[in-house]
This record gives sequence, structure tokens and C-alpha cells, in this order.
Amino acid sequence: MGRSPKILISILVFGCIWMAVILISSFADARDTTKKSAPAPHLIPLSFPAYFGHRYQVPKDNPTTEEGVALGRMLFYEKALSKNNKISCASCHQQQHAFSDSLAFSLGADGTPQTRNTMALVNLLWVNRFFWDGRVKGLEAQIDTPLINLHEMNQSFAGTIAKLQTKKIYQEPFKAAFGDAAITKDRIEKALAQFERTLISCNSKYDQYLQGSYQPTATEQEGIGLFYGSPTQKSYLRRPSCSHCHGGAKTYEELYMNNGLDSLYQDPGRAGLTGEDYDSGRFRVVTLRNIALTAPYMHDGRFKTLPEVLDHYSDHIIASPALSPFLNSPQMVAGTPEHVSFTKEEKAALLAFLNMLTDSGFIQDKRFSDPFLSRQ
Amino acid sequence: MKIKLPILESSFFLLLFCTISPSQAQVNSTPDTSSHNKIVLSISGEVNQPLHLTLTALQALPEHSITVKDKNGAPHQYTGVYVQDVLSKAGVTTGHELSGENLSKYVLASCADGYQVVYSLAELDSSFVQNLPIIAYKIDGQPLFKNKGPLRMVMPEDKKPARSCFQLQTLSVHFAQQ
Repeated sequence: MGRSPKILISILVFGCIWMAVILISSFADARDTTKKSAPAPHLIPLSFPAYFGHRYQVPKDNPTTEEGVALGRMLFYEKALSKNNKISCASCHQQQHAFSDSLAFSLGADGTPQTRNTMALVNLLWVNRFFWDGRVKGLEAQIDTPLINLHEMNQSFAGTIAKLQTKKIYQEPFKAAFGDAAITKDRIEKALAQFERTLISCNSKYDQYLQGSYQPTATEQEGIGLFYGSPTQKSYLRRPSCSHCHGGAKTYEELYMNNGLDSLYQDPGRAGLTGEDYDSGRFRVVTLRNIALTAPYMHDGRFKTLPEVLDHYSDHIIASPALSPFLNSPQMVAGTPEHVSFTKEEKAALLAFLNMLTDSGFIQDKRFSDPFLSRQ
Repeated sequence: MKIKLPILESSFFLLLFCTISPSQAQVNSTPDTSSHNKIVLSISGEVNQPLHLTLTALQALPEHSITVKDKNGAPHQYTGVYVQDVLSKAGVTTGHELSGENLSKYVLASCADGYQVVYSLAELDSSFVQNLPIIAYKIDGQPLFKNKGPLRMVMPEDKKPARSCFQLQTLSVHFAQQ
């Protein structure tokens, strides 16, 4: 019985200590929240099938967050980013065309056609160097060109920032994404890059086939074999597979190739950047994901349809010193006695495979659509 | 000596059966002769001395030739320098120094067309392999074709030519980190 006062005292002592700890920690919390004017943005994972692999880098100072992506999506569809408030990124990068458009050369804010075909924005997470000639490294840096370019959106960052500052709808999103409402060049680049990294297309029929939930038709199966070059096929013996340059399941590898379109170059391609003869007419090999949606084709949009593209690889490869060594054989180059054309069946099979790469979910995905429309 | 003979024999046969994709089958290609004073090869990463070499500087290293067959069976003589000699010049751990943690180093080769391949440091080293890979600047006594040159890796022990990459530009040495 004599123990109970001791127990009471010890309970009191522990209670006091506990209260003190709670008080101190709540003060510490209060101090923290005064430092940070907004809660930390929420990191979101970029999800994709394992067969895409992880050969990519996201800058350490620009992790992908829910808030950053939401802001980036607004900016992507924001016409105030152009000098005359007439075009946004989405004017040329339209979702229904896998974030490309249907023109050979898109028109800038001033109505001037671009010098090269608008590239589709698909699976950019795996792209290291941007544009047809790979001149810019990283999405954050890529964004500057179309925003500022005289014949694209034609507006300085100072101009863009001034316009966005007058729009109340941007205060909260900038604060949520970056901690305070300041609008800076760095933050505009980062938010747009975050949004564009989420544009992942991985639910085409071909993905469903790879994941075992779709049974290809005989023609599609033949196309897969031709594209990836099954060594048992006759065609493999006379031609390299398309996937030699167009990669594995992603149908993308970062390569620059001269694919025999010309021998005299209106557009020097990568040579314009490097000054090297061997880079003449060399362009970045594009992903074929959603290729059926992104006509016209090539850097200058010269081919209107996929059958025209297949005809090129079948019969019109022009020899030149810079021609890709993988296309430079007597069987492939046009006009040689040894030349071998694709058969009608092979063309149909390849076309069937290319159509398998269309991801209708990607072009209807609400997460990528115009936020100003869906709000209405 | 009794042990060495079979190894020599097998390496001789390896050489015979090696395939390098055909260069004689090219259409309308011209040899590249323009790059003597330009930087053609850079060595970076885990090196004591990063290097930026012109073709002339590269050719100052001891010259070696190896003969490999293309996929049509025709032999071609590639002339160049041992990769190991270039790496040693940059102060990369080679030969006797290539032991312990240095065996977890790899070399990333990057080419003008964006192609990249990896070799372990040991695969390029005379203390590990019989037939040393070279960085070639000539094929059959002539400069390489423009779309394959000015430099090409030649991996004499590989059965496929995929690591004998064209238009080699940089070798960067790194520790594998996991």
C-alpha cells in the first residue's frame, strides 16, 4: 500500500515529461510551417511496363510531382505563352495526333511555317537529346526554343512571366508546385518538363500482346517477325530488321541515321550542328509508338501515309557517303541489280504491326487533355 | 607451354570465324581522309589524365593489325592501336593494376550515331584476353569509309560485330555502382 504514492509521483513525472515533449515538438512543427509557406508537393511515380527499361534520367532538382505536373499541364495549354495569345504548345502538339499535328510544317504564332515537321510527344522520358538533330539535352532546356523562337511562340520569358502574373489562376498552382507563388523561367521550364514526362504511351495492342492479353492476327504476327527480324525468316537474310534502329519494345533508341531520303540535302540534319560530313542528312530516329496518328512523316513531312514510308524503305533508298551503314547494301539501295523489294504481303504485315502501336487510351487520357476545357 | 598451345590454337580459330559486317558491299562510299587535325577520340571518367586525341596523336601509339572475317567470309585487315594502350596513356588501371575493385570498372563507348556499348575493363586488357581489341583507323590499308570512320572499335573475340562499333568518339571509364 505504501507504494501507491511513489507510483503516483512517477506517473506525474512521466506525464510532465510527455507533455513537455509534445509541447516542444508542436513548437518545432509551428516553426517549420512558418518556414514553408506551402506543404511539400507530392512525388508521383512514372509507371510503365518493365520491358521499357530504365535508361533515362530525371534531373535531381526536378522530381515529378502531382502539383508540378498539374501546373505543367496548364502551361502546356496556355495561349498566353505566345506573343499574340493565339497558340499554346498544344496548338502544334495535339493530343488526338499523339501530341503532333497533321501538317508537314506547323505554323508559328506569326503564321510562318516551321522548318521541320512537328515531333510527336510520346515517351519523352526515354529521350535524352531533343529535336530532329538532337541539339538540346534534356526536356527542361528543350522547352526554351519553341517558347522564344521568332517563328514559333515568339515571346521572351520576361513577357510570359509578366502575362502569367496578371492571371490569378496561376498563383496557387505555382505555390503548390514550388513552395511560393513566384513565377520564374526555371519554374516554367520545370513544370512543363514534368508534365511532358508523364506522356507515357504503353497500352497499345502490341503492349497487350506483350503482356499476354491480346492474340495478334496472322498478318500482325508476320509483321512483328519482320520488324524485329526473326532469324528464321527469309527476309532477315537479305535485310536487317527495322528494330536495328527502331529499338526493342519501346520502338525507340537514341540514334541518328541517314535513311537514304536524299543525296543532296536541303536540310543538312545533324551536320548543321556538328559540321561533320558524315552527319549530313542524319536525323534522330523517332519512336514508332502511335505512328499511325502522326502523319505526315520524316523531318520534312514528305510522306503522307505509312504505305509511302514503307515504299521508301522498300525501293527508294538513295546511296550517299552518309547513308546509314545498316541501309547501305546492294539489296537495299535503289537501282542496283541486286535490289530486293518488299513483297506486297510483307508491306501489309509491316503496316499491320505499325498499326498495333496505336494507343487509343493515350490520346483520350483525361490527365493529358486541356484543363481549361474540362473545367468548364 | 603445354597449356598455352591449345589457347593459341583456339584463338587462331576464333579469329578465323569472327564476323565483321561487310564493308566491300557498300554502295557509293568514300574513304574519310579529312580528320588528321581534329579531335577524333576523347577518354574521360575514371582516368588520371583525360585525353582529347587527334588522329595524328592516336597514330603516334604503337600500330597493330588484326585480320577478321566479314559475314560473307572475306578477310579484312584492320589497323589501329590497342584500346589498352590508349587507356594506359590516360592513366586508366590496366595490366598489373587491373585487380581488386578495378575489376568492377567498365568502359562506355559512344559513337557519332548515338550508339553506345559497354565493355568491362578486363575484356580490353592483355592480362585477361589473348587477342586485344583495337581502335582501327584503316581497313585493308585504306582509311575507313566515311559512314564508319574515322575510328572503329574492332573486337576480335566477339562472334557478333555489334560491339565493333562504327564512328567511335568517346570512351568513358566508370565504376559499376550498385
